[in-house]
Amino acid sequence: MTENTKNPEAFSEDASKTKTYSLVELVKAPTTMVDKGPDDTIFSFPVVAIMELLLTLVVTVLLLMMSLFVNAPLEEIANPNTTTDPAKAPWYFMGLQEMLEHGHPTLMAVAMPTIMVLFVIAIPYIDNSRLGSGVWFTSKRGKRITLYTAIYILVVMPLYIYIDTTFPLRELLRGQMPDFLLQSVIPALIMGVIVILPLLVLIRSKPTSREVVMTLFTVLFVSAVVFTLAGFLFRGPGFELYWPWDMPGNYSPWDNL
Amino acid sequence: MKRIIDFITNSRVWRSFFRHGWPDNPLDRSLVMTTNVFFHLHSVKVSRKSLSAKYSLGLGLISAIAFGVLSITGLLLMFYYAPTVERAYGYITILQTQVPFGQLLRNMHRWGAHLMVIAVVLHMARVFYTGAYKPPREFNWVVGVVLLILTLGASFTGYLLPWDQLAYWAITVGTSVAGYEPIMGSVIKSILLGGPEVGQEALTRFYALHVMLIPGAILLITSLHMWRVRKDGGLAAQDAAVHDAEELAEAVEEQSND
Repeated sequence: MTENTKNPEAFSEDASKTKTYSLVELVKAPTTMVDKGPDDTIFSFPVVAIMELLLTLVVTVLLLMMSLFVNAPLEEIANPNTTTDPAKAPWYFMGLQEMLEHGHPTLMAVAMPTIMVLFVIAIPYIDNSRLGSGVWFTSKRGKRITLYTAIYILVVMPLYIYIDTTFPLRELLRGQMPDFLLQSVIPALIMGVIVILPLLVLIRSKPTSREVVMTLFTVLFVSAVVFTLAGFLFRGPGFELYWPWDMPGNYSPWDNL
Repeated sequence: MKRIIDFITNSRVWRSFFRHGWPDNPLDRSLVMTTNVFFHLHSVKVSRKSLSAKYSLGLGLISAIAFGVLSITGLLLMFYYAPTVERAYGYITILQTQVPFGQLLRNMHRWGAHLMVIAVVLHMARVFYTGAYKPPREFNWVVGVVLLILTLGASFTGYLLPWDQLAYWAITVGTSVAGYEPIMGSVIKSILLGGPEVGQEALTRFYALHVMLIPGAILLITSLHMWRVRKDGGLAAQDAAVHDAEELAEAVEEQSND
């Protein structure tokens, strides 16, 4: 080889004698450049640098403005002997705390969050088609599926929270049915039906795996928002449901930020 | 002007700092990106599509900016703080009433933390709805989920530090949830709190987690996250062309089947 590179003529002569061709693979696809211009790219410098600098300035200035006008809350020094009413977790865990109101802790605070996190991690492995990568909602149909699922959850979940709180069947039937059935099985079944229902509607139109995952993620995401808002804004003293603007006493849910 | 720029950019001092000339030509613009530790996160050229604000909404960058603001304000807050039950609250009141811009500093840290949680969650939703988790980006999605959990952890551990009623009872409620886990629950809870209830041990641990362990992990894993974005071919926005090609291929296949 080293000899050949030293003497290129000998190399090419040698190659022309021995070069053979073989068919490696047949690919079913349009030729790469058909109907496509060269990739639409620009130099990162300075455009990207300027865009990032601008966004940094805007975000920082907005934070600064807010910090000038709104003070971070500070209550009295911590006192383990006096419980605050209501005692709330930080706002991003209020969805979890709200869920605790609707069933057994092991179901609501352990099983369900575990399932949710595992589902979110598994998303790219459930839907591993490359179709629609980099396109919002993949298609018009995807957009419709997301919209209808979101509306459905926005109606059903607040209703569920409201009904389960004001007509606490689980409390009324306590003692008449096994606790396990009442606090774990039935709430799990109700949640299961709420999640499965849009899938049953979808399944009739032969959805792609992307559309199934999109429905499930929308159920999860919008439910998380509903439960978080319910816990954060609509729970007052005694962890009862109130309108955020109509809280008893001088409690304001915003003080918990 | 040209002569001044040339004089500066050809000087030995400039050349020792930046190994390229004034970036007004393709070569030097490439060198800016490849020879600078901060810019080399980006490729030399990017597709116009991936710069579209309508596509990415800038949420990943906003999360990173929030993290930057939190690091700076957090570092400054550490100068007026001690993680002890007796002194923590006192330091916060001193910070708010006697330290110049102390209240402002604390406000920015607080609102910045909320912004980061919101931005990270929305970033996840954006990545999901644009299908940007699809192959070859599956693993980076998982890395992103880890970063989301770390972000919540960073915010949660910081919540206790002012040691007021709000902090104390929020962490009491929050950690009691961990106790519901049947097998490891009590172990996790006692590791977190260092005792049966929120006290000095919990404050010490939350402080160490909040100022060192979790931000360190976020920094490290964010580096991995961004490196993978590059290695997986940049933002998924530029995949749209591939998407069209695949759709066409499928259509052709369906027709030939019929």
